[in-house]
Amino acid sequence: MVELLYQPSLRSKLGVLLASARMRLITISRYRGQLALDLVMPIVFAAMPILLGRATGGAAAADNFLRNTGTANYVAYMLIGSSAFTIVTYAFWHTGYWVRWEQETGTLEAIYLAPTNKLWLVAGVALYSMLRSLISATAAYLIGSAIFHVNPFQGELLIAVAFVVSGLVPLLGVSFLFGALILKLKQANALVNLMQWGVTLLMGVFFPVAVFPPMARVLAWLFPPTWMVNGVRSALLGVGFFFGRWYRDMAVLWAFMLIAPLLGAWVFARVERNIRRNAGMGEY
Amino acid sequence: MASTSLSSTRTLHGFAATWSAFWAMVRKEFAIMTRYPVEFIASFAQVFLIVAVFSLAGLTFADENGRLGQGPASGVVIYGFVLFLFLSDTLWSIGYNIRLEQKQGTLEQLYLSPASKFASLVSRVTTILVWTGLLCLTSAWLMTTFLGKLPLANPGLGLYILIMSLAGTFGVGFALAALTLRIKEAGQTLANGLQFLFLILCANFFPFSALPAGILAVSRCIPLAYAVDAFRSTLMGYPPGFPELAPIGVEIVIVTAFGILMPALGFWAYRRAERRARMTGSLSEY
Repeated sequence: MVELLYQPSLRSKLGVLLASARMRLITISRYRGQLALDLVMPIVFAAMPILLGRATGGAAAADNFLRNTGTANYVAYMLIGSSAFTIVTYAFWHTGYWVRWEQETGTLEAIYLAPTNKLWLVAGVALYSMLRSLISATAAYLIGSAIFHVNPFQGELLIAVAFVVSGLVPLLGVSFLFGALILKLKQANALVNLMQWGVTLLMGVFFPVAVFPPMARVLAWLFPPTWMVNGVRSALLGVGFFFGRWYRDMAVLWAFMLIAPLLGAWVFARVERNIRRNAGMGEY
Repeated sequence: MASTSLSSTRTLHGFAATWSAFWAMVRKEFAIMTRYPVEFIASFAQVFLIVAVFSLAGLTFADENGRLGQGPASGVVIYGFVLFLFLSDTLWSIGYNIRLEQKQGTLEQLYLSPASKFASLVSRVTTILVWTGLLCLTSAWLMTTFLGKLPLANPGLGLYILIMSLAGTFGVGFALAALTLRIKEAGQTLANGLQFLFLILCANFFPFSALPAGILAVSRCIPLAYAVDAFRSTLMGYPPGFPELAPIGVEIVIVTAFGILMPALGFWAYRRAERRARMTGSLSEY
């Protein structure tokens, strides 16, 4: 085990975190087309089921939707789902993919030679990912609401915000787990694409998870973003919390907040250690 | 001039030589594909997941009997999705592969070989198209289990429209590859953006009647929208209200013209961009 020759202060650790996030924010600011796509994609993604529902349901679309989900506001329901999808996808692509990205660009070994804890670097990546996804998801929700003529500020707005913020930390833990899987299997693009749609299905981006058979429903409940999405929808649209009251669902999310990052960091560190002992991190 | 001397030896002439080069490249692409089994399986599973997500989303609008309201919903969604799978392959794969060769530093070597450049471009997509064909069959079967029985009228004409649509999108793919040589990394962002834009403008997952009048007017200017409309209307046996954009005769003429003219136009644009890149020395610059 390699020990650092000096113990960096908290201030310098925070400096690493902020520098890591800032560097990525500067880089993405050079890709304005990509930033525009960030806003457009969640709206287009939500537009597909919305337009399908309008076309097939006709005048009864809202009534049918109310019977099946608990709200007649299918536009806001889909927009919340696609915005949450953006947050989860970004966490996977940025944080989960981080090591792989550094491997591909040939900078990973150099990073491992730097006298800093990798955790602070990854925390910087996570901060960047969260900032970018939160801005994109919020803007897409607001713009999408304006395009489809629905009121975005309805229901318990503060509770909805609390669910989003609380959901980000366990999501970070899940993305660490995913990063470990990428390190192990290497074929990152395919895995990220697959996981992206896997979690879309699991967290009920466009439908309530109640439609799943019991086993799949349990799997969905073990995935923290499911609680985040349902919490936001229940707070804004009144579709109903899993445990009846918002604070009970929030308690589950807080439990995930404690468990998921620790589990994710532990699994990631184990996989990383094994790889360093064998072929090394530079091999991909 | 360097480009003139290169152009005199740039291809091995004749159909046999072009076919041989094309076949060798397809085999090479297939060999690479089989070396990544996770990717192979993941792409298959991904289609299943996409189908499940959109089918379950559609079912949230089902009536109390579990039926999806008005119109032939299953045909619209399934055939739209099938065409989307094919189109997204042909649209962005060519440009993506050019970019990949640039990143790997092998594009210049490829251009030093006297093999057909056209064969090189098309071979990148051929293997993917075969795989997508298999995916389409599976996804169509999967979707029918969610959304109901699939109508299958006029399969011959449907196949013709599919081939013409693919030929047309090959042309758009060539043009996007040309753009990739010019604008580099931004080309991929543009291809992604176009893919999303086409999803709405070409109404792959819903009928055109769902689009607001302003967007529908834009759709009417895109040949690909007529391809989607003609393809699914033909396979559904022209139910009332279909095709939605124009009479089927007009749509077939548009799709045929798109399938014949666009590849020529796209390849011409690609050769121009390639010649420019070779003369300015930016072929491998990225």
